[in-house]
Amino acid sequence: MVLSVTPSERWMLCACLALFMPLLAWAGSSTDDADANWRALINNRPKDVLRVYDADTAGREAQLAEGVAIMSMQPATDDNMRRAGEIFVGVAKGDDELAAQATYLQARLHQLHFQVPDYAQAAQLYEQLATLQPDSHWAQLGLVKLAMLKLYVLNIDAAVGADRLSSAEVLLKRIHEPALLRDLHLQIGQAGVVLKQPLPRILPHLVAADQAGGISGTAKEDLVVQIGELSLRAGLLEQSKDYFERYLQTYPDNLRAYAVARRLEETNRQLALKREAQP
Amino acid sequence: MKRSHFSLLLLVLVYGWAVYWVFTRSSPVIEERPITIRIAHWQIERGPPDGFAAVIKRYEELKPKVKVEQLLVPGAVYKQWLRTNLAGDTGSDIMEWGAWLAGQKDVPARYFVPLTAELEQPNPYNVGTSQEGIPWQDTFHDNLIGARRDSPDPGQIYAVTVTELSVRLFCNAELLKKITGSTAAPKTYDDFRRILALTQAYARRTSQPINGLAGSRDNGLWITSAVFAGPLLALNYQFDDSGYLYLYNRQVLAAYLEGRWNFQRPEVKAGLQLVREVSQATKPGYLQLRRDDAMLEFFSGGALFLFTGTWDATTIKQTAPFPVTAMRLPPITPDDPEVGKYIMAVAGEGRGETAMAMYLNKTSSHPKEALDFLQFLTSVPGNQLFTDKSLWLPAINGVDVPDEIKPFRDYQLGYAIGQSPYNFIGSEVSMAWDSNFYELTGDQGSVDKFAAKLDQVMPQKIRMDLENEARNALLLVKPQDALIIAQANLVDESDQGLMHAQRRREMEAGQTMSEGLAFQMKLQLARSKLP
Repeated sequence: MVLSVTPSERWMLCACLALFMPLLAWAGSSTDDADANWRALINNRPKDVLRVYDADTAGREAQLAEGVAIMSMQPATDDNMRRAGEIFVGVAKGDDELAAQATYLQARLHQLHFQVPDYAQAAQLYEQLATLQPDSHWAQLGLVKLAMLKLYVLNIDAAVGADRLSSAEVLLKRIHEPALLRDLHLQIGQAGVVLKQPLPRILPHLVAADQAGGISGTAKEDLVVQIGELSLRAGLLEQSKDYFERYLQTYPDNLRAYAVARRLEETNRQLALKREAQP
Repeated sequence: MKRSHFSLLLLVLVYGWAVYWVFTRSSPVIEERPITIRIAHWQIERGPPDGFAAVIKRYEELKPKVKVEQLLVPGAVYKQWLRTNLAGDTGSDIMEWGAWLAGQKDVPARYFVPLTAELEQPNPYNVGTSQEGIPWQDTFHDNLIGARRDSPDPGQIYAVTVTELSVRLFCNAELLKKITGSTAAPKTYDDFRRILALTQAYARRTSQPINGLAGSRDNGLWITSAVFAGPLLALNYQFDDSGYLYLYNRQVLAAYLEGRWNFQRPEVKAGLQLVREVSQATKPGYLQLRRDDAMLEFFSGGALFLFTGTWDATTIKQTAPFPVTAMRLPPITPDDPEVGKYIMAVAGEGRGETAMAMYLNKTSSHPKEALDFLQFLTSVPGNQLFTDKSLWLPAINGVDVPDEIKPFRDYQLGYAIGQSPYNFIGSEVSMAWDSNFYELTGDQGSVDKFAAKLDQVMPQKIRMDLENEARNALLLVKPQDALIIAQANLVDESDQGLMHAQRRREMEAGQTMSEGLAFQMKLQLARSKLP
């Protein structure tokens, strides 16, 4: 079949193309520009983002990238953080992913990036985000950060160690992303050690973090040997045995393997005594 | 203008341009290999440069479009070279880095890329070898202990290693026979102590300037670390609250500030006594000397032992004018007549730690190719080439170890002390140790004087080092906020997009862990604040 087009139709087609082509090009370049901005930030080139930024045409994503670029500039100054914060306040008006990211970043500025941190303000922003968009990833991540503030810096005079763990444990119920839940369990467990909490209080968090999986680097090795040793100290001998055996299986040549093997001998000795003592 | 004049002029111009090019450019007009990657390291001892050259030659045969350049930067200027080039964005694609380089602790977090995700996948160059299909990180003989321990972020691994190192006593066998009447190696630490005393007596008797140990700052620090650790083990386990069976520097620093140990503790003083013993067997003022000076002293017959790493073994073998035997420093055991009562157990070397850690520069123009070269370098065939040509131990499982270096894999098993011995737990601590070391050595020095002096100066230095540790942890944490958001905004269903999702997850987990550590250190600093 031959497609036949009349001269008038040909003109209409040309006109349509002429109208749509710039639109298509604009749409394509908009996505490309946004991606280019984020890629520049990944490559530690915030100046590239600021160089191409056009305040008149920038959408919310470009504005967010501009804010992130400003907070990444070196030297990091409070002036830059304030400028970035103002941009984030603007982008945060809404209830979408960009708004959640912008609110999260506002909290991070107050917690970490200003010369003098304002932990209370950061905590309030994390809480606000978790109330407005509880299922957003950024709200969930913010809850982990909020829990850490509660563990280490908020109300430290009022709370004794155990209460500080409780205030973070409450937040576990509001987190449903498994990786973030794991990270918070690990943080509560490690904080418990530094805050000198009883081992039965600490160990379930460490075990939960391990069972969630996905921990890498030296943190994984540390966690396996830690659960083995703290379980031995707490008298949880079966658990200690499991973890020490797992350590020796996974890291047979590592520096701590010799010590772990000796501690496993001790665990087995105590287990044998316990069995003998049973009627 | 006549045509012949024009041709002549053209010829002269072209010739002139060619001469200019030859004298001002080192590269050809048309680059045969469009991609050049550079690898920089300080291992200019005999061995490694040849090892790397062999690996590069084979790699370039496999990859005709890639050229690899090896940059040999002397250790004496490496720190400055590293910092300047990284700050100026002119760093090599791959760079060697070590946690002990003073004042360079922030470098990995600032300038290098984590390799965690890649290390979880098999190394493609191991196809057809015993390591085929095994995750790259598990092909290293020690599972990358050092790279994990020295990572600025406990959830990430930033480096891969090329070789495996240990420290050994290299002995002038002829001189040993003259001094002791035998070439037998010392079996116990007390035997070793006795040989050092016999050497002093021999030097006095024959009026020859012979020392038990060849001396330099580096060699002195290595043997100090080895002997000082022995009595500290018992102490270590008293403040291992985390149950790691190993202490990180931050934990030792915090324990000091919390008053849980000091230099007056009998275990620490026993360690200082051992340090004094080896110092007295070394040339006075050795802390001012360099490794080459110790080597020269040993080669000229001025010292019975050279305590150094197996990194010097090839040089020693090729240069010493006398037979050299390598032996382990005997362990300090609970039956030692001098310090035995403070020894809980033998300190171990593990089963060898791999070293010569190579990092990927964040600003590399060819990260894909640089990573690919790292994979070849640390594959079974690549590491075999390195080992055969350098005569340094391999880092990779499945590589055949040449007979002459097999004894270097005979390790002392025992307990691990931790990240560093107590004289090396921070740069401020190390400097204070060095600047007051004269209180320990010589006829005027003593253990008591040195311990008293250290307890006078260390509280402030230890606090500074813990503050630095906390600062370094935050150095990594802060820039990650921007990176995490950027990664999140590049996530889509494409392979690249999914990789960004994976990176985001890794970064979030790592950031939370580092943030936790920074909080812990701040809490410990606040708890121990001086009135």
